[in-house]
Amino acid sequence: MLRYFLARRTDWTVFVVACTISLSLMLLDRSGQARAAWFLQHTLLAPVSTVVGWWDRGVGLYWDNERLRARLTRMQIELDGATAERAENTRLRSLLKLAERHPYELISARVVGRSLDRLGGSLTIDKGEEDGVFANRAVLTPDGLVGRVERSTAHGARVLTLLHRDCAVAARVERSRVDGVVRWEFGEQPTLNLLYVSSQEDVKVGDRIQTSGLGGIFPSGIRIGTVTRIGLEENGLMKEITVRPAVNFRTLEELLAYSPATLPTTVPSDLFPAETSDSLRANASADSLAAAGQP
Amino acid sequence: MKGLRDAFILGVALVLQSAFLYRIEIWGIRPDLLVAYVVYFGWMRGPIAGSLAGFAIGLMQDLDASGPLGLNALAKTVVGFAVAKAGFRVHRSNPGVRFFFFLLAMIAHDVIYFAASSTGDFGLFLKQMFLVAIPSALYTTILTLFLLGFAERFSRRPLLADES
Repeated sequence: MLRYFLARRTDWTVFVVACTISLSLMLLDRSGQARAAWFLQHTLLAPVSTVVGWWDRGVGLYWDNERLRARLTRMQIELDGATAERAENTRLRSLLKLAERHPYELISARVVGRSLDRLGGSLTIDKGEEDGVFANRAVLTPDGLVGRVERSTAHGARVLTLLHRDCAVAARVERSRVDGVVRWEFGEQPTLNLLYVSSQEDVKVGDRIQTSGLGGIFPSGIRIGTVTRIGLEENGLMKEITVRPAVNFRTLEELLAYSPATLPTTVPSDLFPAETSDSLRANASADSLAAAGQP
Repeated sequence: MKGLRDAFILGVALVLQSAFLYRIEIWGIRPDLLVAYVVYFGWMRGPIAGSLAGFAIGLMQDLDASGPLGLNALAKTVVGFAVAKAGFRVHRSNPGVRFFFFLLAMIAHDVIYFAASSTGDFGLFLKQMFLVAIPSALYTTILTLFLLGFAERFSRRPLLADES
């Protein structure tokens, strides 16, 4: 019977198999879906990604090379000057015992592509590694957080927005400093939720949610959205908090990619030759004693 | 030759869908050229190719989407198969038939999509059908027929030809 069906009814067989696979994928739980998506992306779609990567690297390689040679020469000259200044800066900072600042750069980028799905979980931007946009960098607008860079090529990057299931953000309630995780939940009503907040915590409708900086990807203090609804989970232990995003994802055209500057955070050991180091320390302690009014 | 042409059309549809169509949204309604491609492909190539194309394109969309994995794949598999079965020996070059087929297929796609995603909430399902699915199906059908007509005039041969 089965053999007859497979041989004579190939079209129905293909249809039933495809529907069965689709339904099986739909019935997987959240972690199962994530594993299946990872598997598919790294097996079936891996050749496509490789070809796209080759194309991206190959197009205009000659012109890129010419442009980069000129840029390299110019930057080498600037780098020599900057290295000397940075070394001096670090030396002086350590003498003054100032904490290192954490400077950052915002790289502006244009949206050149959107998710194929109507929910809009991802974006493609026109800046990539050549411009300083790397994977796992935060992406924002003046209104608030957009998401994070999932992967980048030389001249482009894919951004997972807050409306994507793989984008979770360590967050904090601005008023009460309660921590949680903001994540898109595809349930009966797809919403952006603040998760892992105990029922005892102080959260109110209208509270503003911002990034907490925990986790290392998103810098702290970036606005995520506003609490619009608060309920209790069935077990009564955790709150169900719905957040309205600060950013309108439908109208995004320009974005800013956050890029922490790469200044050294510790003083390199070779900056102070042994003698110079001792004399500098001696001078510094003499200065601090003088400032304190001691002989 | 046919395969190359269809691959080229898919490439154009993908580029338009991801890089251009969001700019011509009307009140949040965006055309879905990938469903239109599945309809075209299933109609021209038969149920096996239609099912496989629908499944592959839907799965690709699912990997890029926020919804549950498999939802687009299921909806597009059904559409690819059903269009191929129903469109057998139908007068494909007739504009009225084209309009009817594309519109009905888009609505069928969205019925499956929203029925599964609204998980039993009938009110939500109806709301999504009236506010999103039907306007989107109309918009996509009109745009598809326009693009199809343009491509056929440009290439001077019908892309959706009657069976010989």
